[in-house]
Amino acid sequence: MKGAQLLVRALEQEGVDVVFGYPGGAIMPVYDALLDSPIRHILARHEQGAALSADGYARASGRTGVCIATSGPGATNLVTGIANAYMDSIPVVAITGQVPTPVLGTDAFQEVDIFGITMPIVKHSFMIRRAEDIPRIISEAFYIAAEGRPGPVLVDLPKDVANAETTVPPIFEMKSPVRRRPDPDQVEEACRLIRQAERPVLYVGGGVIMARAVDAFRKYAFASRIPVVATLKGIGAVPTRHADYLGMLGMHGNLAANKAVQASDLLICVGARFDDRATGRLDGFAPTAKVIHMDADPSEIGKLRHADAGLLGDLRYALESMPTDLSIEPWQAWCAERREEHQWRYDAPGEGVYVPDMLRRLTEADKNLTITCDVGQHQMWVAQHCHFQHPQQHLTSAGLGTMGFGIPAGIGALMADPTARVLTVTGDGSIMMNLQELQTIRRYDLPLKILLVDNASLGMVRQWQELFHEERYHEVHLSDNPDFVVVARSFGIEAFRVTRRDQVDGAIRRLLATEGAILAHVCIDPKTNVWPLVPPGQTNDVMLEGISA
Amino acid sequence: MNHTLKLTIQRVEGALIRALGLIERRGFAVTSINAEADAAAQQMELTIEVRSAGRSADVLARQIEKLFDVRAVTLMPAEEPAVALEESMAC
Ligand SMILES: Cc1ncc(C[n+]2csc(CCOP(=O)(O)OP(=O)(O)O)c2C)c(N)n1
Repeated sequence: MKGAQLLVRALEQEGVDVVFGYPGGAIMPVYDALLDSPIRHILARHEQGAALSADGYARASGRTGVCIATSGPGATNLVTGIANAYMDSIPVVAITGQVPTPVLGTDAFQEVDIFGITMPIVKHSFMIRRAEDIPRIISEAFYIAAEGRPGPVLVDLPKDVANAETTVPPIFEMKSPVRRRPDPDQVEEACRLIRQAERPVLYVGGGVIMARAVDAFRKYAFASRIPVVATLKGIGAVPTRHADYLGMLGMHGNLAANKAVQASDLLICVGARFDDRATGRLDGFAPTAKVIHMDADPSEIGKLRHADAGLLGDLRYALESMPTDLSIEPWQAWCAERREEHQWRYDAPGEGVYVPDMLRRLTEADKNLTITCDVGQHQMWVAQHCHFQHPQQHLTSAGLGTMGFGIPAGIGALMADPTARVLTVTGDGSIMMNLQELQTIRRYDLPLKILLVDNASLGMVRQWQELFHEERYHEVHLSDNPDFVVVARSFGIEAFRVTRRDQVDGAIRRLLATEGAILAHVCIDPKTNVWPLVPPGQTNDVMLEGISA
Repeated sequence: MNHTLKLTIQRVEGALIRALGLIERRGFAVTSINAEADAAAQQMELTIEVRSAGRSADVLARQIEKLFDVRAVTLMPAEEPAVALEESMAC
């Protein structure tokens, strides 16, 4: 058997049914071997699209995503996607072709040191030197990608190794991760802190989803009735309409969420990491709170904020050991008042489309909608206003903030579940980052719905220039955009335009009722801003509010 | 603060650079390093002096421990003061 065939066999053994990729010289033996495999290959139109689709697939399915590229430019084009998976702890295995080992290190045609380039953005990486190592390395790669705190793993495969014949019988070893229990002393300390607390808050992050601990989290939250705030990646950990849910915290968070955290005396951090977008100025974050930190990653506990109790290990064990019979009624009532006081308002003046309201209504019209997002103001509106029953319904590039994530992630989500209804919310800046993936949608007839929020500008950057650079606008106006309806149609995708508020109901119906792919081009006032906003460098007590639309 | 890290790493491709790269990326300067190979065990013992203005060496040790090629990590306060901070950060 050839190395490339062994690789494909090893992928089959791991249960891989779809891979996203783009061929080229050094990876050709693998493409040859894939022809004889039941694994489905999805051709992206740019390797970044392949990597981000693998990421979206992993987020939506809970399984490890796989992307493949050739050496050199193919491999470097994966880099942003790998970094995206790294920052959001998404299990992805990226396989790159490499020049043959005899010429490695000689600046051969299409040689780049992708192993070196990606070192800071992978959980681990392998360079395969011998064909007989392939089964072991692939098995380790999948194990590492998914165990503990997940992340991307790079496997670099030189062409001569892919072509080498090996007679060593392959041993496919399957490893499954062990669930670790937190230290009993720390558990006891955490229980004591919770019993003592008068104003506890559950601060939930994406780790809850990665650890498959959503049920355990809900069980605890619902039984203890401790108010919940979520990070961008934690949204949906409890249904967004739940009475004890105060919303997203942080820079564009809900005022009720930020006020509760600032006033709390105990922060129970569950699978979150005190990211600066969530905490604002760190030394003023939840200034009077003690901290219980539950995480699967030992290096997160105490990284940015001292933990009074650190519960390292499987979140499910940690959560099920916490006390629920608390008497925190005054605090619950205070939080409920803040929640009431800071409800979102949808009565924006004017005739133009008010995107927050349109987004909210889309998720009300279809409660099972999965939304993949691009990056910018529209991403924050999704986080603030859409309703989700489950966190897997909201796929967003949180840690890296990758413009161009939306459409590839939508493709990945549809490959994970072809029956899912998936909507990509994108901006006129972001869509251009991976516009070529419209052809992938066409090629595989994927019924992706796309809501393009066009403010003829790089809205989020424009907003910052307005607020923090004295309106010195620079390179944020995109009034020279192409006609996006024509663009979509040229890819063979149905498209229509929405410019007025009275067209919104019809647009929602059309988006949801159309069987195939469709793009709604929604034109809005370029001066619309996202509110509220904690200015950079301030504590979360300082939330600017403005008039929307 | 100065600290001494003792690492046992597996002698596989990238292991050394992965550990050193992580140390610098996480905001520590390497002020001295000593490596000894244990050929039989396919391992290498590293003694690394690091310093940082404000980062926690304890967190660094846990970040290093997570690397798959690292077999063991011990962290100790440095025995004697290493080079001055300005000097070490200049590298
Ligand atoms: C790849 C990449 N480049 C640059 C940025 C910086 N950035 C963040 S938001 C933004 C504007 C996004 O514009 P658009 O997609 O139109 O969304 P809007 O903010 O207008 O809703 C930019 C340029 C980024 N996040 N990602």
